[in-house]
Amino acid sequence: MANISVEELSGNRAQPYPGAPDNWKRFFTFSTDHKVIGIQYIVTSFVFFLIGGLFAMIIRGELITPEANLVDRTIYNAMFTMHGSVMLFLWSFPVLVGLANYLVPLMIGARDMAFPRLNAAAFWMVPVVGLLMMSSFFVPGGPSQSGWWAYPPVSLQNPTGNLINGQVLWLLAVAISGVSSIMGAVNFVTTIFKMRAPGMTFFRMPAFVWTVLAAQLIQLFGLPALTAGAVMLLLDIVAGTSFFRPENGGNPILYQHFFWFYSHPAVYVLALPVFGIFSEIFPVYARKPLFGYRVVAVSSLIITGLSAIVWVHHMYASGTPGWMRMLFMFTTMSISVPTGIKIFAWTATVFRGKLRLDTPMLFALAGVVNFVFAGITGIMLGSVPVDIHVNNTYFVVGHFHYVVYGTVVFGIYAALYHWFPKMTGRMYYEGLGKVHFWLTWLGTTLNFLPMHPVGLMGMPRRVASYDPEFAFWNVLASLGGFLLGLSTLPFILNMVSSWIQGEKAGNNPWRAIGLEWLISSPPPVENFEQLPIVIAEPYGYGKDEPLVSNLAELSESPG
Amino acid sequence: MTSEASIANQVESSIVEEHNEEANSKFGFWVFLLSESVIFLSFFAGYIVYKTSSTDWLPPGVEGLDTHDPAINTVVLISSSFVIYVAERFLHDKKLWGFRVFLLTTLLMGSYFLYGQAVEWQGLEFGLTSGLYGATFYLLTGFHGLHVLTGVLLQTIMFFRSFIPGNYDKSSFGIDATSLFWHFVDVIWIILYGLIYVWQ
Amino acid sequence: MNMRLIGTLVGATILITLASLWMGQQAYSWFPPEASAESKLIDDLFSFLTALGTFIFLGVTGMLAYSVLFYRAGRYDYSDGPPIEGNVTLEIVWTAIPLALVIWIAAYSYQVYEQMDVRGPMELVHLHMPETMEAAYAEPMEMASLPSAKIAVQAKQWAWIFHYPSENGEDITSTELHLPVDHRIKLALTSDDVLHGFYVPAFRLKQDIIPNKTIDFEFTPTRIGTYRLRDSQYSGTYFAAMQADVVVESPADYQSWLADAAGRVPSPAYNRASSEYNRAAEQTVVRGWETVPPASPPVVNYAPKQAPASPPA
Ligand code: HEA
Ligand code: HEA
Ligand code: CUA
Ligand SMILES: [Cu+2]
Repeated sequence: MANISVEELSGNRAQPYPGAPDNWKRFFTFSTDHKVIGIQYIVTSFVFFLIGGLFAMIIRGELITPEANLVDRTIYNAMFTMHGSVMLFLWSFPVLVGLANYLVPLMIGARDMAFPRLNAAAFWMVPVVGLLMMSSFFVPGGPSQSGWWAYPPVSLQNPTGNLINGQVLWLLAVAISGVSSIMGAVNFVTTIFKMRAPGMTFFRMPAFVWTVLAAQLIQLFGLPALTAGAVMLLLDIVAGTSFFRPENGGNPILYQHFFWFYSHPAVYVLALPVFGIFSEIFPVYARKPLFGYRVVAVSSLIITGLSAIVWVHHMYASGTPGWMRMLFMFTTMSISVPTGIKIFAWTATVFRGKLRLDTPMLFALAGVVNFVFAGITGIMLGSVPVDIHVNNTYFVVGHFHYVVYGTVVFGIYAALYHWFPKMTGRMYYEGLGKVHFWLTWLGTTLNFLPMHPVGLMGMPRRVASYDPEFAFWNVLASLGGFLLGLSTLPFILNMVSSWIQGEKAGNNPWRAIGLEWLISSPPPVENFEQLPIVIAEPYGYGKDEPLVSNLAELSESPG
Repeated sequence: MTSEASIANQVESSIVEEHNEEANSKFGFWVFLLSESVIFLSFFAGYIVYKTSSTDWLPPGVEGLDTHDPAINTVVLISSSFVIYVAERFLHDKKLWGFRVFLLTTLLMGSYFLYGQAVEWQGLEFGLTSGLYGATFYLLTGFHGLHVLTGVLLQTIMFFRSFIPGNYDKSSFGIDATSLFWHFVDVIWIILYGLIYVWQ
Repeated sequence: MNMRLIGTLVGATILITLASLWMGQQAYSWFPPEASAESKLIDDLFSFLTALGTFIFLGVTGMLAYSVLFYRAGRYDYSDGPPIEGNVTLEIVWTAIPLALVIWIAAYSYQVYEQMDVRGPMELVHLHMPETMEAAYAEPMEMASLPSAKIAVQAKQWAWIFHYPSENGEDITSTELHLPVDHRIKLALTSDDVLHGFYVPAFRLKQDIIPNKTIDFEFTPTRIGTYRLRDSQYSGTYFAAMQADVVVESPADYQSWLADAAGRVPSPAYNRASSEYNRAAEQTVVRGWETVPPASPPVVNYAPKQAPASPPA
């Protein structure tokens, strides 16, 4: 039976390699191939990254001078609201889902995700979410201006009185994005539990798969809470209920609990897969096994567990009683233990290896350094007395851009460079990659480091105007921001031109160990000719042991 | 070296594709329901917070809820969980007519529940906007009601599908999922009934 | 070889420790002046965290830098590194140390928080009937020793109004917060509409204000001067403009200010939000979207006519 399908497939080789440039039309179809969907996610979300980045450029343009003189205050408020929302719901979540979509089935030796059609449906909701968000610019009253938290009562205020307003569209978009994420999460969890190749035990899965599992579990328990809060908020706006309306006895603080019960864990939905990416990249470019692989793998699940019991650290200064502040201070800080395990394991992996500083490695190394910095400011925020001073100041903005940009975006860049040859069959230009790295690194530092001192001085976030004493640091930050905007150009240039005419990469340009590197680049539709039989743990660098027992049968034409 | 035999075993079992797909769907559906239950948990948590913290919980002129009719409704809904289980057994034994009769009974019991709920809503002297009490009441019963409606629709589809020859030969996933969903809706209702009607 | 490694490690540790201690001292200079008793506690805590954080940061980056600098693969060297997969002792150590550190940091923070004793909100779930202002000022004549009487802070879109209780039962109102130095201050925070945040960077103190609820807030200013009060919880369009001056003065100055204010006829104070809003309506420049209109300038006894002027920190 298997033989027949091989014949058929080679006959159909018009479209066998998702990712090959001659085949770009596939990306505009309702394809159920996880590799096509993965790339669809990545490219779509990158477009939204540019849009969210454009909003950031307007924010930084306004903040280069103390006065509110570039845009009206309402526009500024819409800008940071949409910037945060787009960057999270339309860039970071989907791009990581895209990477996971592409990689997880390959890494565990499956032919596709467990539910291919559900997968495609989940993807096609992303553009819908994007359209809804963008369309809110065209309704009277403009887009939501209540920040990405949408805290009531501000989010309930509806100055135009229209039923269809920016806030309602925002809520609908977030709800659809939630449905899409739940569908994705069900799919990933099922795939990882049920579709592993023979011999692929849990402790033979690459660390990236572990982190995807850990992250998707968060979506499953967290998103419903956000949904509940969003439904109640929507009813308050459109149906006249008073769940969160204080003047009628409602409780706005309850909304904050719903929101952060999800949105705190959500930051680990972003961070965990990026930790997985680091765990994949260091062994390859340091030529050493991932240090303490099992502990690193399990620590992801510990993070998942802890992430569910720390949410109140976003509400220390809110209507939070003292005992709750203290309790959540302890839980919050305990997250540094499983995270520290990972950091130290990466350091030990790199330690005295045979390092090769290609672009993915540069981004990964800098990502870890940025993360240690951000983690330390995170612990400072976790300390209640310190947070009472810096909460809602630029210190927080600095902290989280060091993670969401300095760590997550760096990790995504690392992953895109690392797997680019696999996805497209072609090599990117190393020189441009290095230019991109240095611009990004400089821009990140210049943009986000000054936010810390200015926050300690007391500059609040979400302000269009500020006192002149803060100007110096803001000028630096704005220059850094513009540099970051520029830094995307070499990246786009590199990706597009390499995809079209880059050098052929071969199956395994990095001499990496992993199922995805055993098959052709880009992989054929069915991924594996015959399912791999896994006989070793991942990361066997320096050990010279085979990963699978049926290497010859995996793809029909090796090389 | 790992034992070659166990690997060979695993290979074979993975080749049995159809078997796997049904198992996947079941697993996936369980995962989904667990996630879905968190929405209800959140609503319940909200309800408890509101009820324990509000100074004037009941809207003016409202005494509380009548528990008699809802109790009948409850009994109907809960027993329907057993009825659908019997239907499943019949299907398992390939007795299609028994399956249809019991599935139809479940469907009717579910519809009766919805009808009972509608009658109750009609008779209430408070509405969605009558303070936190009204809002939480309609939110919880309404959201649950939507799930009952979904369940009834699923049962209807399954009922008609049973007339397609050989429909359930390959896989009974559809009816397994419908039944699981129905039990889920029931369990939620039991908690909900306790919170809203018993704890007044 | 091994001795050299140990020597290098010890040397590096000493260097890093010194650098961390130095950073810890630098940390004090990053803040506005210490104008309250609480700020001293917080600055010490932050300095400690900075020193510890610097140590961890330099430790990790130092290790990475060491490998990056000295363990690069040669251009044509395709060999692998040593296949070290883990080390149980090491892994236990680097789990235990962070755990110990965390307990230490948390315990220290806990202690600081206890000492601050800022009160703040009580349980979420037992909201009382809104404690009305009248009730809070039931005891008459507390005014002479005013520090023990509560000053009511009223926040609204987008203005701050401070109510000082007075003998005749009628509040003395102001849009500038005057406080006597070295006295325990008791505030009662209320909001008319949305969430606001009471934040004075020089005091290092912040508390969200929740509509339909009165939150007690306590602290002790210790340094005479004028400081900035900022809204810290995003409250809509003119959020950034919701600022006021906090004047900390000697008890004598404070008393005479209060007496002076009591004698003044209420008049509209400067209000940046409403003046901006009105100017925007007159001008024909491209406006933004429709906004919740700001309240008209508050009419108060002590009504400064110009923007807050607290000096830069
Ligand atoms: C990917 C995203 C991401 C990640 C991974 C983190 C990680 C952490 N964050 Fe952050 N955070 C955000 C994204 C993220 N955060 C965002 C987006 C916001 C703001 C949202 C908004 O308001 O709009 C925020 C806000 C935020 C706040 C609220 C601040 C406020 O609003 O007042 C707090 C408070 O506790 C906090 C803490 C932490 C902590 C303790 C960690 C920890 O996980 C860090 C753990 C890591 C380390 C500690 C470093 C490595 C460890 C070692 C080397 C071991 C040894 C170390 C010690 C013993 C200390 N974060
Ligand atoms: C993954 C998440 C993510 C990412 C990547 C970023 C990236 C950036 N962010 Fe961030 N930001 C958030 C998440 C993120 N942000 C969140 C959640 C908030 C909180 C919102 C809230 O308070 O509600 C926030 C808030 C926030 C603020 C605070 C606003 C305020 O409080 O008033 C600022 C201020 O400087 C800022 C700046 C930036 C900058 C300069 C970048 C840069 O890295 C961006 C670099 C730019 C690009 C990469 C694109 C370049 C594009 C072009 C040059 C144009 C070409 C494009 C087209 C033609 C479409 N962001
Ligand atoms: Cu709780 Cu007063
Ligand atoms: Cu958090």
